[in-house]
Order: sequence, then structure tokens, then C-alpha cells
Amino acid sequence: MSEEILKALTQLFAIITKQDGGVSENERQFVIDFFQQELEKSAIEGYLQLYDTISGYTEQQTKHVDDRSNKLTSVKDSIKTLAICKKINKTLTQKQKVVVLIKLLELVSSDKHFTPQRMEIVNTVSTVFNIAQEEYKLIEAFVTSDQVGTLNYADILIADEGTQSTTPIQKHIHAHVAGHLIFMRVSSVSMFFAKYIGEDANNLNGFIMKPSRVYLFSHGSTIKTPDGAALYYSDLVADFNNEIHTTKLSFIANVDEYKFGNGVIGIRDVKIAEGPGKLIGIMGASGAGKTTLLNILAGLEKPGKGKIKVNGFDIHKDKKKVEGVIGFVSQDDLLIEELTVYQNLYYNAKLCFAQLKEEEIHKLVMKVLEDLGLEQRKDLKVGGVLDKQISGGQRKRLNIALELIREPAILFLDEPTSGLSSRDSENVIDLLKELSLKGKLIFVVIHQPSSDIYKMFDKMVIMDTGGYPTFYGNPVEAVTYFKKATHQVDSNRGQCEVCGNVNPEQIFNIIEAKVVDEYGQPSNKRKVTPMQWHEMFKSNFKASRVEDIHEQPPRSLHIPSRIKQTIIFTTRDFLAKLSNKQYLLINLLEAPLLATLLAFVIKYKSAPGGKEYIFRYNENIPAFMLMAIIVALFMGLTVSAEEIIRDRKILKRESFLNLSWNSYLQSKLIILFLLSAIQTFTFVLIGNLILEIHGMTWAFWLVLFTTSCFANVIGLNVSSAFNSAVTVYVMIPLLLIPQMILSGLLFDFDKLNELLSTKGKVPVVADLMTSRWAYEAMAVHQFKNNEFQKHYYDYERDESIADFKSAYLADELKRKNQLLLDFLEAKSDSIQKRISVNKNILYTELRNERFREGIENLNLTEVFIKNGYTKEIGLLLDSYFENYKKYYQKQYNKSAALIEKKMAFYESQGFNIQQEKNHYYNESLADLVKNTTTKDRILEYNGALIQIINPVFQSPKPGHRADYRTAFFLPEKNLMGILVDTYIFNLLVIWGMTLFFYLTLYFELLKKGVSILSKFNISLKK
Amino acid sequence: MRFILLVAVIAVLFSCTTGKKPDEQAFLKSLDSTKTDGPGVDEEVINAILEQIPSPLEISVLLKESGSKYNQSMLNSSNNLPKYNSNFKKALNLGIYGTDLGYTNIYGQNQDGIKYISSIKSLADELNIGQFFDVETIGRLATNSKNLDSLLLITTMNFNQINHYLQSQSRDNLSVLLLTGGWLEAMQITCQTAVKNPANKELQEKIGEQKIILEQILLLFSFYEDDTNMASLLADLGQLKNAFDKININYTYKESTMEIVDGVAIIKDNSSTTIDITPQNVEEIKTITDAIRSKIIS
Repeated sequence: MSEEILKALTQLFAIITKQDGGVSENERQFVIDFFQQELEKSAIEGYLQLYDTISGYTEQQTKHVDDRSNKLTSVKDSIKTLAICKKINKTLTQKQKVVVLIKLLELVSSDKHFTPQRMEIVNTVSTVFNIAQEEYKLIEAFVTSDQVGTLNYADILIADEGTQSTTPIQKHIHAHVAGHLIFMRVSSVSMFFAKYIGEDANNLNGFIMKPSRVYLFSHGSTIKTPDGAALYYSDLVADFNNEIHTTKLSFIANVDEYKFGNGVIGIRDVKIAEGPGKLIGIMGASGAGKTTLLNILAGLEKPGKGKIKVNGFDIHKDKKKVEGVIGFVSQDDLLIEELTVYQNLYYNAKLCFAQLKEEEIHKLVMKVLEDLGLEQRKDLKVGGVLDKQISGGQRKRLNIALELIREPAILFLDEPTSGLSSRDSENVIDLLKELSLKGKLIFVVIHQPSSDIYKMFDKMVIMDTGGYPTFYGNPVEAVTYFKKATHQVDSNRGQCEVCGNVNPEQIFNIIEAKVVDEYGQPSNKRKVTPMQWHEMFKSNFKASRVEDIHEQPPRSLHIPSRIKQTIIFTTRDFLAKLSNKQYLLINLLEAPLLATLLAFVIKYKSAPGGKEYIFRYNENIPAFMLMAIIVALFMGLTVSAEEIIRDRKILKRESFLNLSWNSYLQSKLIILFLLSAIQTFTFVLIGNLILEIHGMTWAFWLVLFTTSCFANVIGLNVSSAFNSAVTVYVMIPLLLIPQMILSGLLFDFDKLNELLSTKGKVPVVADLMTSRWAYEAMAVHQFKNNEFQKHYYDYERDESIADFKSAYLADELKRKNQLLLDFLEAKSDSIQKRISVNKNILYTELRNERFREGIENLNLTEVFIKNGYTKEIGLLLDSYFENYKKYYQKQYNKSAALIEKKMAFYESQGFNIQQEKNHYYNESLADLVKNTTTKDRILEYNGALIQIINPVFQSPKPGHRADYRTAFFLPEKNLMGILVDTYIFNLLVIWGMTLFFYLTLYFELLKKGVSILSKFNISLKK
Repeated sequence: MRFILLVAVIAVLFSCTTGKKPDEQAFLKSLDSTKTDGPGVDEEVINAILEQIPSPLEISVLLKESGSKYNQSMLNSSNNLPKYNSNFKKALNLGIYGTDLGYTNIYGQNQDGIKYISSIKSLADELNIGQFFDVETIGRLATNSKNLDSLLLITTMNFNQINHYLQSQSRDNLSVLLLTGGWLEAMQITCQTAVKNPANKELQEKIGEQKIILEQILLLFSFYEDDTNMASLLADLGQLKNAFDKININYTYKESTMEIVDGVAIIKDNSSTTIDITPQNVEEIKTITDAIRSKIIS
């Protein structure tokens, strides 16, 4: 209290007592007592003099002035009173003003000299102090009355031996008190005052209560009667509070044992039973398992043995019933750093309250922001560790606000004050205290609390190293308990006599006291082991019983529908991404930059002679297409790989809301797919523009977009399974390199390890690679459907088929037939084997052959399967193959002529064939898809003839309906008996893979797999 | 801003697809349905004629022996490759490049030779006769300059195989074009050299001798009159024939005699051929050849 205020108060005292008969001795004594409380002895004299002068006490002593001469309050005094009150108004808080008012009333009542003028002045003071009239009446009655029966107020509570209250609305509790203990609540400032009327020497916080004096009954206070009965602040507050009574809540935790992943026991034998409206602290030495205990109580971890029940519902078994009841504020920031303070709260509120209108949500958010003193900062970005925009205390408060806004009935907070200034810490705990007074049950892990904070807790759980509970009860009593247990002097006093401070450090000094060796040095051995403390605890404490409630716990949660959730998640994520300029810039510029770089580097004067750039002769086009796919995969992976990891903290918080995982994932996909679409589009646009790839923009884009989407889903899988961004980024090469190896361009599928490869078919391992499907789709589409080739493709296909049959297949089949003829009579096993192979080949080839001239009447099954092959048939076949060859030669010439004619036709129409080919056709790509570099054009493999040359003109030959496998670059694929264009088929395959990995993501299969693996490792070590 | 960008992008995308082609129906209608089949010439007849046409290599050898210098500008540049899109031109120019390759080979101009190999390989692939060029072998040989001789030789030899193959595959028209291309290029080189060296009688006579070959070629072409491309080439060659008609080839027959040399009987041919050819004739032939050739290679 400042000198100025004290002076003002002294004047106020003096003016009041001056009225109506002047100062009595009692009144003067009261003032002296007050000074003694506030001042040093040496200073009292000065103030007393001031008081005496103004009140006219000195004059009274000397002149014996007649009382009645001063009957009316002088105008001068009134003005003075007002001036003083205004001065006080400027500096004192409302709470302090209430205290001042009570002091004034006490002063007046010290001699019971209640004259109208005195009361008038006090009343004026209360009006100037902005204290409501009803409250003033209450305070006046409380201070001045000695009669319990006259105190008919709802904010009065009487504790006495009686069984019921004396007036209809005052509250009453039964206690072993001689006389009456009267408590008053001043609800506008949430303060409590106590007064004792009676003979006993009651103890308030260790000090004797004088009868009829008013005491401030602050946080953590205790009143003890000589019988030893105790009245705790928290209980009293609960008795006052209606909300607590109407809140139906019971929280019963029996944690017998909890083991960490490595088998070490973390928590043992903790029993907690609480009802609504309590603020409970959890303290302990570091490593004692405070946070673990909190996690278990909140249901984040499952205890090995034991149960946690809310209103009788097991929080692990009846998840639906307790949904939204529990709130958890972890030690970490669980904020979306890219969003503003307001947005963080707003989207959280939207996810919690589907039933509220936009406006109501806004109001709610603003109210919470105001309550937490954050309304000034509402439009600031939360910011990350490096670019902090709001202070640590504000962050913490925002974290708490995120939970508060949905008002969970039970709230858990892990060290909400760590890293905060003492002022901020106090604010936070004040806030929690207020909430608990509204009926919430709050558990707080707290570390090194200040005395004030410590006293605010209703109960304290103290843990010792190894997860042993050693204390569970009133915080201030914890000090006396441990003092007593170690037989210390003065063990009855929990707090400092003069200042009322409690030193929670004392507790840990006692718990962890070390044995001193003979040289006076503390050794490593503890005086009392955790186990001994625990034994002591078990014998001294019995779990209090809490009213067991069996109804639905209170909840205010109203989760929106899944679609709405998706929309909310998406908007939130979208805004977060938009506000992250760096992220946005890099992701949007990455693709065009890479495209420019790549296309620029590989564009060269490709025309024969090297004079200009001609697309047709750019040998880098096949490589460009692979690079485009790799870029799409890479961008898709990197953009998604961190998504879930970054959100994991937020997901942890939101896990209490039981929101839809599917909605969350879909929101991720919407944003990522959108980003991928933009990225791949800019890439294709620029790449194609520079390299002069005409007419392929949309076709290439669709392939790359599909590929990128696939990579997005893979990235999310990885992101959901691993717990650090670094691990995820290490995973990326592991995912990408196989895609490159098995893309089909870098390494020929026919020249792979024979364990993997099947001649004439893409290996199954490669079929697992998106790159291979994407590459094939792009290459085949470019070759087949470019503006030049598409006019000739069908003819060239006929030409190629005829060429293959006439130039290779005819001779090969003829040779096979000749062998059959030559060895018609042979019996040796090796020859028989060859014969059967040859028969089989002839059978398959002829069965599917359209040209049957000369063999129309031949029953192929009879001849080749059922041993019906004779010399006559052999000769017939021999001449048939001759005709076969001729026929296809003719077919070839026909097709070749048609192509010639078509070209001539177009030229006659004024088209420039050469220019078109230069524009749209790429020689290197054509060589690739026609496989012109191969040495073997036809190959016998596994008893079948395989065409190696010209895959892009072949047709698939499925072995069965579901046989999709073909060689690389075939123009069509078999999809359940239907021929589908390779481009479409391959895109379908990639989308199918994407869907598959979406399912693994949805069921978190990878995450489960990884956690099983890591468990397996630990058990190996053991 | 973004909107403008979007519009620009769309404009670019649509601008790529201008100049619509007539559809497939229009082309099919344009076809004369009756004349799609080939001429149906007897294989053996063609083979017999084809075999009389000298290999381009022969002429190159003659040139080198005449002492004339290597002249790259006489050859068809491999840069012209993009211009050959129809089978007709591909086959003709494959023949031309074959001769050029032989010419560079004779003069040991390996660097130029490699360029022709790659052009030849590319044309051959497009004509579905790429199997005669084993890329692996060519690639391996090409890495070492010492191997270039054998590389060139292999490629030249392949031409003979290609000719046989085409005939066996009833693609004799291509074979005819291939040989005609080769012959024309050889004629062109020889004529140019002969014009520069008017004193070289032997070269002039060699040119005169080609009168017989041209007659054979014209005979071959007459089988393919239905093919518009070949018919037009035939007309051009007809002009060349007119020029050759001014040259007389006199064949004087004398009975053969038998002599014993070192105890071995040898039959001696006493017949002789004289060719009346003037530098003017050569000049005229050169002009016409050039005209035909430049039509083909452009």
C-alpha cells in the first residue's frame, strides 16, 4: 500500500469517526491496530498524529468540546470524502476497495456507534467505489451484525453445531464449532470473508481468530477449531457454489500399475477420487511421473492395471459416453502457427459447436479471447519458434483457450506455467481457479509454484521418484504432514506467521533429504526412500469417497457432420497455407523453375546438321518424360511428407473431440491434390512450351497429376507412420529410387535379374511402380496420338503386324513344323520334349491366326494336342506357311501403299508432311516404343514365341480374363476381357494404387506396422 | 491478374490445335479402290535384271583410281534426312546414302562415313529393314577409330543383303528404288568427276557403258507404271535415256582362240567394244542426272 493511499485512508477513518460524537477509544484502538498491521512501529506515530488531527481527537482530549456542536456533516468534510474516494478509485483494485469498505464498517462497528451520518458517509464511499447497493447491504450486515438470524442473504454461510440454517436463504454447514463461524462471499470480486462469533480460540491459517473481527478468507485458507476440525477454503467455496452442486461429475481413477514401453514401472498404486469444482495440483520431483500420471488420467495412455472412470464410464471402454468431456492442454504448443490467434480459436470452435450460428461462434470466440486478455492480439499470427509474434504467456493462454472454449467438464494441464513470468503464471492459475469455481474439475501438473499459486489449489497430489504417490490432500497441510513425519519443530505451522507464505520447496527438501556422512557431506542415499514414503502414505491416507454418479457426464460438444468437418479442416488448412508465404512461394515456383531448368538444359540444336532445334530429333524427350514423372513424384512426396507430422500435436488435442479421421484426411487430400494440380500443370505448360511439345499439355498433365496425387497419398502414409520429419525425408530416396530403377526407361525390363523378369512381359515388381505406369502412359500416348502419327497409326500397325508375320513368324513356324516332320518317328525323350514344345507353339499361333487358307478343315486340337499329327498334315502345313508368308507380304505392301497414298493425299490437300512430323513426332521416342534397338526380334521363351520388336503396334494376348500383363509400351491392355487404351488403363491403375494407399492411410496400417517392428526390436535387446 | 494469365494460358492451349485435317473418310473416298494391288511382276525376272546393276562400290573404286580428290560437296548431306518421309523417298535416298557411304569409305573419310551410317540406320528402321544393322556391333566398332574400316565395310555389305531380303519379301519395288538411288548417285559423282577431268577417257567410257544399265532400269520401272511416284521418276529417266541414245556402243565379234600358257589352256576373248562418247554427251548426261537427283534428295 502506498503512502498516499494510507494517508487517504487515515483521512477517511478520521472523517468518519469525527461524526456524531467524535472518536471513541475503541475506535482509535482499531485504527492503531490497523496501522500496526500495515506499518512499522516507527512510522505509526506519524499517521496516528494525522488521524488525531483530522478526527479532532486531540481537541476532544484538551477542550472537551460538546458533542452536539458537530451534529451535521460539514460541507467541507463531504467534499473531502469525495476527493479521497476518487483518489482511492484511481489506484486500488475493486478487491482492495472492498477490503477498504469492510475496514471502514469495522471501524464504525468497533464501538457499535452507528449514527446515520457515519453510515451515510460509508454508504457514499461504497457508491463512489462502484459497489452495488445489494452487495453493500450484505457487507454492512455481515460486518455490523452479531446476530446470525439477521443475516438473510444467499451469500452468507454459517458453520455451527446446528443442523439447519436459521433463515430461509442463508447457507449452512454443520461443523464442530462453539458459537458461529460466518462466511460471506462478495461475488462481484469472488472474495470470501470470515468472522467468528463465540468463545473458542479458532485458528485461521495458524493464527488465533479474534471474535467479531472480519478476516479475509483467501485461497488455500484453513480454519481449525480447537477440536481439530478443519474448514478448508475449497470446501467452503464448493458449498457456496450452486454450479458445483448442479454439475454431476465424478472422476475415479485407480491406477494400480503402469509400465513404460521398456518395461519400467512408471506409476503405481495411485487412487484419485474427485467431484466437480476442484483444482488439483500434481507435484513431484523430476522423473516422478507427473506427466505420465496426467496422461493416464486423461486417457492418453492406458494403465496396465487399473481403471479410470468418469461418472462410472470407463474412459477407455465407453469412449462414446465420455466423448468431449475431457480436455487436455499439453506442455507443448498445440497451435496452428500460420493462423492468427482468432482463427485458431474460431476453427476449433467450429469443430466443437456445429449447432451454433456463425455469429454465435464469433461471439463465443471473442468472449473467450476477452476472458483470457487476448482480444488485443486476436489478429496477430501465432508464429513459430523463430518468428514469435505473441508472447509465451499469450501462447500458453491461447493453448488453454482452445480447450476452454468447448468447456470440457474435466481439464488436464501439463505445466501450464512453465516458462511464464510469475505474473503470467498467476494469471493462468487464477483463470483455472475461476473455472473450477464454475464446476470444472481441473488437474494441473505444476512445477515450483509460488506460494500464492500453491495455495490456490484445492488439493495436491505429490509424487515421488519411481511413480510412488506420497501425499494427496490439502496443499498447506502437505507441509505440516511432511514436517510432522520427520519430527521437525514447529510442525503445526504450514505457512509463515507474518506473511502467510507457504514454501512448497520445503516439501521436496524433506522428501529428498539425503543421509549425511561422517564428514557432514550429503551422500547419495536418501533418508526416507520413496517406498517408505509410500508406506507412510498408505497408512495415513484413505481415499475419500466421492458420490458415485451414473449419468451421462456434462458435455457441450456438438460435432459437425463429416462433410462439414472436411470443409472446416480444408478451410483451416488452406488459410494456414496461404498465410505461410514462404511455403506458398516455394511450392508454386518449384515446378515452373524445375521445368525451365530441365527443359532449357535439354533443348539443343537437334536438327541433323545442328543448325536449329527440331522437336523430332531431340533425343532427350524420352528422358524428359521420365524426369517429369520423377519431379511429379518428388514434389508430391515432399509436399505431403510433413503434413501429418506437423499436425500431430493438433491431432492429439483434437483426439478428445473424436473428430472424423476420414474428414481430416480428405481435407488434406483436397489441398494437396489442388497443389499438385497446379504444380504439375505449370510444369507441363512450361516444359512443353520450351521443348515445343505440341498438343500434349492436357494428356501429360493428367498423367503427372495422377502420379503426383499418388505421391501425396504415399507421403501422407509415411507422415502418419513416423514421428520425425527427418525420418520422413530419409524415407523419400527409399521410395523414389526404386521408382527410377523400375521405370522402364533407365533399365530395360528384358535385361533384369532373371528372378524378377519375365521375357516379353513387364516384371511384376515393376508393376508395383507408379513410374512405370505413368511413363508407359505418357510415351504410348505421345507416340500414338500426336498430331502427325495419329493419322497413320492404324495403317502402320497393320503394316507392322504383317511385317512381323511375313518376315519372322512365318519362317519360325515353318522351322518348327519341319522339326516335327523330321522327327516324326523319333522316340528319344529329349526330342519328344522339343516336339511337344513345338506342337504347343504351333497350336497357340495357329489357333489365333485369321489366315486359314488351306487349313480350313484342320482340327488343331486333334493335330497338336491329341497326337493326330501325320506326315500329310505336316506337308500341308509346310505349304500353308509358304502361303501364309506370301499373304502377309501382300498385306504388308497393301498397308505400306496405303500409308504412302495417305501422305500423298494430305500433301495434295496442302499439308506439309515434313513440317508436321518435325513438330509432333519424336524419333527417339519412336525408337523406344518400337524397340528398334533390339537384336532379337522374335524370341522363344518358356514354350512360347514372343515378339520383341514393335511393342507399340502389338495387341495383348491375355492368358486369362484377369491377365493384365503385357510387354512394355503395348497400346492396349486387357481389363477383364475388354481391351482398354493403355493411357486410360494405366491412369486407372495409378488411381487404384492411390485408393489402396488411401485405405492403408485410413487404417494407419503403416503406422501399426512400424510400431510392431519397434516393439520387436526392444524385445530382441532383452 | 490471375484471370488474365488464365485466359492467356487457354489461348496458348487452343492455338496449338489449328489447321484441322480432313478426316479418314475423305481419304478413303479419295482412294481408287481397284488399283491397290501391286504390279505382280515375276520375282525371277526382276532378280535377273537387278543383278546386272553394278554395286556403287565399283564406281567409287574407279574414281579413286582415276586420281580425283575426295569431294564432300558432291554427296547428299545427311542433314537432309528429315525430308524423307515417304517410303519412295526413303528407299531412293537409302540407296543414295549407301553410295555416299561407299565413296567416303574408299577415300577413308571415316568421320563423314559415321554420319551416313546413322542416317542409313534410321531410314532402314523406318523401312522395316533395320535388322540388317546390328546396333550393338556398330556401336562397339564406332568407339574405336581403328575399327572404322570394318564398320564401313559391314554397312556396305549389308546393302547387298537388304536387296536380297527385300526381294524375298516381295518388296521388290523398294529394292528397285534402292538400287536406282544408288546408281543415280554413282552416275552423278562420276559425271561430275568426268566433267572436271575431260582428259580421262576411261571415266567417259564408264559413263557410256551405263547406257545398258539404264535400259535395264527402265525395263524394271515399266513394271511399276501404276505407281504414280515411280511413273514420274520413269518419265525423268526417259529424258536421261534420250541423252544416252546419242551414244553408240559398237560391239565387234571375233572368234575366241585358245592358247597354252605354261602348260595350261586359256581361252582368249577377241571381241571388242568401242563406245562413242563426247564431253558434250557427258555434260548433257550430267545436267539431266543432277536434275533428277536434286528432285529426289530434296
